[in-house]
Amino acid sequence: MARPKSATSSFWTAVWSIVWKDLRIEQHTRQTMSVMLMFSLVVVVMFNFALSTDLDAARQVSTGLLWATIILAGTLGLNRSLSIERENQTIDALLIAPVDRRGIYLAKVISVTIFTLLLEVALVFIFTIFFNKPFWQPAALLVLFLGTIGYVAAGVLITSMTIQTRSREVLLPILLLPIVLPLILPAAIATAEIVSLQPQMDTVNSSISLIAAYDLAILAVGFFSYPFLVES
Amino acid sequence: MNMTRLNRTVTILNVLAFLSLLVSIGFIFLYAPIERSMGNVQRIFYFHVGTAWVGSIAFFVALVAGALYLWRPQRRWDTIALSSVEVGLVFLTVTTAAGSVWGKPAWNTWWEWSPRLTLITIAWLVYAAYFMLRGAIEDEEKRGRFAAVYVIVSFVSIILAYVSIRIWRDIHPVVFGGTLESAQGAEQGLQDIAPGLASMRMGITLTVNVVSFSLIYLAWLMNRIRLQMLKDEVTTLKMRVAARLQGG
Repeated sequence: MARPKSATSSFWTAVWSIVWKDLRIEQHTRQTMSVMLMFSLVVVVMFNFALSTDLDAARQVSTGLLWATIILAGTLGLNRSLSIERENQTIDALLIAPVDRRGIYLAKVISVTIFTLLLEVALVFIFTIFFNKPFWQPAALLVLFLGTIGYVAAGVLITSMTIQTRSREVLLPILLLPIVLPLILPAAIATAEIVSLQPQMDTVNSSISLIAAYDLAILAVGFFSYPFLVES
Repeated sequence: MNMTRLNRTVTILNVLAFLSLLVSIGFIFLYAPIERSMGNVQRIFYFHVGTAWVGSIAFFVALVAGALYLWRPQRRWDTIALSSVEVGLVFLTVTTAAGSVWGKPAWNTWWEWSPRLTLITIAWLVYAAYFMLRGAIEDEEKRGRFAAVYVIVSFVSIILAYVSIRIWRDIHPVVFGGTLESAQGAEQGLQDIAPGLASMRMGITLTVNVVSFSLIYLAWLMNRIRLQMLKDEVTTLKMRVAARLQGG
C-alpha cells in the first residue's frame, strides 16, 4: 500500500519528473546541446579571428569571452527548451497537471542549468587549450556553477515571457542580457582573477558572495512570480 | 482618482514644479559657493545628484506599483508603473548627460567604463527594454502582468548591482553614506567633494534641488498618468463608436 505523500515530497517528485522528461527529450533529439555547442565554437573562432593579430590580447580577454560565449549560447538553450513546450503544446498539459506551477519553474531552471553546465564542461576544455589558462581550477568551476544558476534562473523567467510575445526569440537577448549583467560582471571579474598568475582572493571571495546573493534573489523572485507568467 | 480631481492636481503640481525649478536654479547659481578645486563646473553636481535621486525613486515607485498589480490586477497600478518607468528613464538620461558634461573637466573624459558608470548603462538598458516588452504584447491584461514581473526582476537586478559597486574601487565618488570611497576618490586627487559638501551652503542647495526635482517628478508622473487615462478613455470611446456603427 502506498503511503500518503507529504506536500513537499510530492512537489519534488513533480519537479524531478519534469527535469527527467527534459533530459530524456534531449537524449533523443540532442537539439539543444548540439546547437549550443556549435554556436559556442563559432563564437570562439569568430573572436579569435577578430583578435588574431594579437595573441596576448586574445589571452587577456579570454575570461570575458568565456562568459560572453556562455550567455549567448545560453539564450539559444533557453529559447529551445522553453519553446519546445509551446510548439508541441505540452505546456498546456503541464499547466493542467496537478503540479505547483512554481515547481515547473524550478524544474526548467534545473534542466536548463544542466544543459548549460554540460556546455561549460566542453568550453572549459576548449578555452584551456586555446588560451592556455587554468580554467579547470576548482574555484573557477565554482564561479561557473554559481553564475550559471543565476543566469538560468533569470533566463527561464524572461524566456517564459518572451516566447509568449509577438517578437518571440528576438526579444530575449534585449531583455535578458542587461538583467544578467550585474551577475556576469562579478563572475567575469572573479574568473579572470582566479586564472591570473597572482589571484587576489579578496576580490574572488567578494565576487562569489555577490553571485550567490544574485542567485538567491533572482531564484526567489522567479519562484514566486513565475505562476503569473503562465496563467491562461 | 476621478478626472476632474486629477486635472486640478496636475495644474497645481505643474505650477509648483515650475516655481521650485526656478528656486533651485537660483540657489545653484546665486547661493551655492564656488567649489575649491573644480570651480563653477561643480554646479552641475546639484542637477546630477537631484536627477539621480529622482531616478531611483521613480524605479522604486514602479516596483511597488508592479507588485501591487500582481497582488490586485487593476489597471491603475499598471498605469502608475508605466508612467513611473517612463519618467524615471528621462531622469536617468539627464543624470548621465549631466554626469558626462561634468566628467569631461573632472576626469578629462566624457565617459569611463568604471563599475558605477557601467551600472548606469545597464540600468538604462534594462528599463528601456521594458518598453520593448510592453510593445510586443497586445493583450492588455497580459501586458500588465508581464510588465509587473519584469519591473520587479529588473529592480532586484539593479539593486544587486548597486550593492556590488560599493565593493569595487571606482573613479566615481559616493555622496550618500559612503565615506570610504569618497575618501579614496579625494586621495586619488580625482575629486574634492567630501570636504566641499561639509560646507553648509552646498548642503542646503543640494537639499533644495532634491526637493524640487522630487516635485518635478511628481508633476510629470501625474501628467503621464493623466495622459494614459485619456488614452484609455479614447480607446473605450472608439470601441463604442465602432460597436454603434456596426449595430446601426
